[in-house]
Amino acid sequence: MAEEKFLTRREFITALTAIGGSAAVAIALSEIEPLAELIQRELALELPEVRREVAHARGKARHHWAMLIDLRKCIGCQYCVYACQAVNNVPDDMRWNVYIPEVTQTGVPFHMTRPCMHCQDAPCTAVCPTRATWVRDDGIVIMDYSLCIGCRYCQVACPYEARTFNWKAREGDSGYQAEWGAAEVEPRPRGVAEKCTFCVHRIDRGLAQGLVPGEDRPATPACVNICPVEARVFGDLNDPNSRISRLIDELPTFRLREDLGTEPNVYYVPPEGMTL
Amino acid sequence: MTTAIATLRRQVRAYPVFATWLMFLGVMLLVGLVSAAAVLWVGLDVTNLSNRVPWGLWITVDLSAIALGAGAFSLSTIVYIFRVKSFAPIARMAVFVGFVGYTSAMLALVMDIGRPDRFWHPMVYWNVHSVLWEVTMCVIFYSAVLVFELAPAVLESEAVVKRFPRGPQIAHVMHRFTPVVSVVGLGLSLLHQSSLGATYGVLAARPLWFKPTLPVMFIVSAVAAGSTFTLALTVFYENVIGKRQISSKLRGHIAMFAGLMMLAYLYLKLWDFLATFYYSHLPARVEANTLLESTTPYGTTFWWLEIVLGALIPAIILLTPALRRQDLWVLLGGFLAVGGVIANRWNVTLSGLVVPMDWSPGAAQLFSVQPYTPSLAEWGVAIGVLGYALTMFTLGLRFLPLFNHEAHGEH
Repeated sequence: MAEEKFLTRREFITALTAIGGSAAVAIALSEIEPLAELIQRELALELPEVRREVAHARGKARHHWAMLIDLRKCIGCQYCVYACQAVNNVPDDMRWNVYIPEVTQTGVPFHMTRPCMHCQDAPCTAVCPTRATWVRDDGIVIMDYSLCIGCRYCQVACPYEARTFNWKAREGDSGYQAEWGAAEVEPRPRGVAEKCTFCVHRIDRGLAQGLVPGEDRPATPACVNICPVEARVFGDLNDPNSRISRLIDELPTFRLREDLGTEPNVYYVPPEGMTL
Repeated sequence: MTTAIATLRRQVRAYPVFATWLMFLGVMLLVGLVSAAAVLWVGLDVTNLSNRVPWGLWITVDLSAIALGAGAFSLSTIVYIFRVKSFAPIARMAVFVGFVGYTSAMLALVMDIGRPDRFWHPMVYWNVHSVLWEVTMCVIFYSAVLVFELAPAVLESEAVVKRFPRGPQIAHVMHRFTPVVSVVGLGLSLLHQSSLGATYGVLAARPLWFKPTLPVMFIVSAVAAGSTFTLALTVFYENVIGKRQISSKLRGHIAMFAGLMMLAYLYLKLWDFLATFYYSHLPARVEANTLLESTTPYGTTFWWLEIVLGALIPAIILLTPALRRQDLWVLLGGFLAVGGVIANRWNVTLSGLVVPMDWSPGAAQLFSVQPYTPSLAEWGVAIGVLGYALTMFTLGLRFLPLFNHEAHGEH
């Protein structure tokens, strides 16, 4: 039997033409006005600086909510954890706000707590396949539980382990409610992800009532209100006279894993003995 | 009823091996159904997944099934886009293997997501910035392509023709669109086979994952292992029915193609290793690797299961004419390549997840390696998905004209 050619000249030329033709069509398509505009917009929006500038230019970002956690002051009482569990109706085996005992490089113990960082370039929102989570114009990262399909990619992507998943259906209330406050939000259904919201329900309701989040207690996150040593401060970074803006100006601060470029909205004041 | 049972009894006596095989498949499917019911009823709590390790065995099943289905687009591309007619006899089998692979993957995925009732959300609530969204859309569209490409085989099958004589005519018309559909299929496959790797590769917080090589290694390994798998399955089928379906020359060509792809994969793997571990020492990566080496078998399984057994030996078998001519060697090569791709998908998924992310500014060793072993329910669902795939292969090879269809007109 004669050796059949692997690729005849004609086949080769056809293939080349097909590839060239596809490329030409792709280039031509990208020139069409609406498509070109879409591509341009998508490319521009990729850059977080641009995104923030756009938000400012539109005048949307009236507020920019942030939190300051003073690790010099924290005494490790974990009240912030308990208040969060109660107010946000978080099951006992899940944590939105985490406490861990830590030591500095020189071995001095300090108390570390970690809410959601509310990153401006949040990896969890970028990876969500259903737009169930996003960064609001005021900097808060929130979720729409009714859109979440429970793929858990946000958990995998978050550098801070700030997201938890509802592995099982809820049974009863949080064990912290009797002592630490009434639940203010609905429990989440089985099979969706959830995370710290900066008590967004308090902020939105408070603003509607003319309150100032961070100053008026009903409009301030539960963890900030409960702190007995005022280690947590909440407020508007867009207001240069807010307490948090002034503290960030005065004190040395850092944010977690700044090398990743996530631009967190939670600032930490280093504990005694820690060099930045 | 009694006659049906009598017929069944006669059939079982006449084909004892096939009957045993079907019973075996039935048990697998039953195990799968029971486990799936437990997952749907109780929720993902029945798994050993956790907030630290949210992905595990099912993601491995899903990624492996998609990778092994990649023979479909690779071999279809050779036949319909590059118009290498000598590959035509394998095209339909490749598409069938792809169909089974993709549907298996979707089964595993539906079990894996917390809200299976919302599986359609990505199609409606687009997030174009999400790799996973792109993967979802491509997998859905590509599955449609596979259904279209496989439809002629179904329409030409004996059972359909008996009840629907016009079947082959429709199949013929559909077949004329195959080249166009193949181009679409190629585009979709190039996108999602790679972006499944990018799913891991884009996560900057995970030092073992964050690299641009992952998407490329995913697609090349998928093309290599997928084509090898299609070939091995064909050879296996030939042995079962005792009749050759593809010429030894075509077998040589497919083996050559798969073998060269395997070499390309090894080359990428080599440079990935050299660039990320040998010639550079990114602290986070070195630390993660040291942790893995000391606490998990991933280092050993990487070198032995992924590289030596999973790629190097299959490549040697596929590229040595004296070896690939022998059925046993091809089957061994296929088996090893499949094992290699599964080991790779497992290692990529788990190695990145079990290494803790140190977000705390302190110096205490608070974050330990998070062990993960799949639970009984997870194994049950995985066995069920495998049972589904094997059942489909059995039925498809028994009832669909996957090989002897040249009469219906190639181009």
